[in-house]
Amino acid sequence: MTALLRVRNLSTSFATESGLARAVDDVSFDLEQGETLGLVGESGCGKTVTALSILRLIAEPPGQYGEESRIEYEGVNLLELSARDLREIRGAQIAMIFQEPMSSLNPVLTVGSQIVEAIRAHGSESRREATERAVELLTLVGIPEPGRQINDYPHQMSGGMQQRVMIAMALSCRPKILIADEPTTALDVTIQAQILDLLMDLKVRFGMSVLFITHDLGVLAGIADRVAVMYGGKIVEEGEVHAIFERPAHPYTQGLLRAVPHIDRPTAQLRGIPGAVPTATEWPSGCRFHPRCSQRIDRCSTETPPDITTETEHIARCWVATPAGKS
Amino acid sequence: MLGGNTRGKVLGSMSSPKTLLRVESLVKHFPVGGLFGPGDHVRAVDGVSLSLLRGQTLALVGESGSGKTTLGRCIVRLIEPTSGRVSFDGVDILALRGTDMRALRRRMQIVFQDPAGSLNPRMTVGTAVREPLEVHRIARGKDAHARVNKLFREVGLDPSLTTRYPHELSGGQKQRVGIARALSIQPEFIVLDEPVSALDVSVQAQVINLLVDLQKARDLTYLFIAHDLAVVRHIADRIAVMYLGKIVETADVIPLYDRPLHPYTVSLLSAVPVPDPRAQRKRVPLRGEVPSSRHPPPGCPFHTRCPHTRKDERCSTEVPKLQEVEPGRWAACHYAETPMTLGRGA
Ligand SMILES: Nc1ncnc2c1ncn2[C@@H]1O[C@H](COP(=O)(O)OP(=O)(O)OP(=O)(O)O)[C@@H](O)[C@H]1O
Ligand SMILES: Nc1ncnc2c1ncn2[C@@H]1O[C@H](COP(=O)(O)OP(=O)(O)OP(=O)(O)O)[C@@H](O)[C@H]1O
Ligand code: SF4
Ligand SMILES: [Mg+2]
Ligand SMILES: [Mg+2]
Repeated sequence: MTALLRVRNLSTSFATESGLARAVDDVSFDLEQGETLGLVGESGCGKTVTALSILRLIAEPPGQYGEESRIEYEGVNLLELSARDLREIRGAQIAMIFQEPMSSLNPVLTVGSQIVEAIRAHGSESRREATERAVELLTLVGIPEPGRQINDYPHQMSGGMQQRVMIAMALSCRPKILIADEPTTALDVTIQAQILDLLMDLKVRFGMSVLFITHDLGVLAGIADRVAVMYGGKIVEEGEVHAIFERPAHPYTQGLLRAVPHIDRPTAQLRGIPGAVPTATEWPSGCRFHPRCSQRIDRCSTETPPDITTETEHIARCWVATPAGKS
Repeated sequence: MLGGNTRGKVLGSMSSPKTLLRVESLVKHFPVGGLFGPGDHVRAVDGVSLSLLRGQTLALVGESGSGKTTLGRCIVRLIEPTSGRVSFDGVDILALRGTDMRALRRRMQIVFQDPAGSLNPRMTVGTAVREPLEVHRIARGKDAHARVNKLFREVGLDPSLTTRYPHELSGGQKQRVGIARALSIQPEFIVLDEPVSALDVSVQAQVINLLVDLQKARDLTYLFIAHDLAVVRHIADRIAVMYLGKIVETADVIPLYDRPLHPYTVSLLSAVPVPDPRAQRKRVPLRGEVPSSRHPPPGCPFHTRCPHTRKDERCSTEVPKLQEVEPGRWAACHYAETPMTLGRGA
């Protein structure tokens, strides 16, 4: 079976005053029908740029896609599609929700009119039909009194309610793929739990595939089928969710896991990852993680690590990862 | 360690664990105009009492808008409470004026919620840390310079960063600068207002560990504000859970996590993501959102969202008092003696 979305050799860079920022560098992954793929990594590792690149939302210039880059959706390379055909796909086939709902909702329009616009942009519904559907969608995402709230402006709603409106808008055209870029990071844990439950429920009901972006690996345990770990613009480890949590093979993934506070394991000392993510104009040579890595060997600082298959469907890009069959 | 001059006075009374901070019936109402007309109030903090032993960490947790920041700011007297008492090391701080208050300010510091917003963008971070030393006439010139470098090292920053501006630092680095600034005048007590909420998980762990180490080295007392119960388990001795301006449960860390007594604490705990795909906890769903603190619900402020199976008439009419349900464990729920259980398992 071929995947619904195939990202191949995606490189996205930006021309900046201090040189070329290689925000995403030769990234490949698949998103299968009906699956949730978690994309995780620290701030500045290229998660958002990856998401925006899939929808070709990067401004060119200063942004630029590499020549080899392909975003294949139903066999078509989105990076070669005409602007008009691309508009048909955005929103209708592949929808995105952003980290900060306030910055993507229009403050001077009611939430209802924004959802109605989103519905009518792709469909042939009349205004009245679209309004009815907007109320249905608001009900679906758990907004109380949707018939009344539809007339509210975004600032009259809490962050959690705004995020629900964003989800309702994203679902308005029944997309096949939902890209959720840190949709709960700005929210309280209680509201985060509600939104995660809602997203997973809707995913099943609509049969969607979800690309879920987060910097908190802990969140993915409850929702992802597979996990891709990003560092320095590259995917450094990828595997099924149990494999990533139980047998992390890359020192970066291991570090991220140790940093997650465990509510059930209070005595385990929290351990961070020393240092910080460098800027995208100054990625280190060899393995980009080597300056922060506690397991590095000599070649790490000079040679790019290969793909090591540590078990079926589980790949780590690291010189010290153990290939399947050896130990 | 940096000199102990501010310490001398209190050392004599430090023999047994001793209450450093005591807050009694603290109230902070903000007047609001507009729609509801004058005379209307946000009851940001609505009758809070708590105490804190020297050298301990009390974590204050609760959802956005529950009044944590307001309480923290009242305690260090950045804002004046509407009523109530705050005593610090036996001194009623709300009665202090002028120089007495200034002297006390040196002993209590606050690290703000937003690492970026609390630093002046036009001041190098070295100057930001040096400023309080000069304001409080603790050090000048070369001495101040040396102290700033030492503080940078103490919080895990390279002293070469002192000449940078805030925008040239990462979020974690800025948060460390905020901590260095608070430490510069050697306080005994620090209010840490969500010091790690804006940070990456990997950096969060570094900052938490740093705070724990500093506390041990300097015998600091913390009020640690957070909205996430997972993080505070690693730093707190005692927890106070806030909801709509009130403390609804308070207990030592271990019993609180093992067997929370208030249904709100149960919900908060069950909402924390479990970083293990095989051990997903059953969620105790919390319907809806926090009600407005302008018009808190009658009776138990939590009754509109409460999942407790015993919830009844009484909950929506009678305000539950914060009472000692078990030794050292206080909860404000009519049914705290028959708490809900935290679902665990597959
Ligand atoms: N328009 C741009 N011009 C220049 N550099 C950019 C631009 N957009 C992103 N970058 C750089 O690309 C890198 C990756 O950024 P990206 O926003 O994808 O990170 P992220 O993983 O989403 O981080 P966060 O968790 O903070 O959202 C960063 O170094 C960032 O500074
Ligand atoms: N200066 C002010 N004037 C009016 N209302 C205020 C003021 N400061 C805070 N409030 C209100 O008081 C309540 C408590 O706010 P506070 O900032 O203390 O909450 P918090 O628990 O710190 O929330 P968060 O987790 O979002 O930081 C909120 O309803 C808030 O809107
Ligand atoms: S390749 Fe080397 S430096 Fe990179 S993660 Fe593996 S051991 Fe560490
Ligand atoms: Mg991002
Ligand atoms: Mg606050």
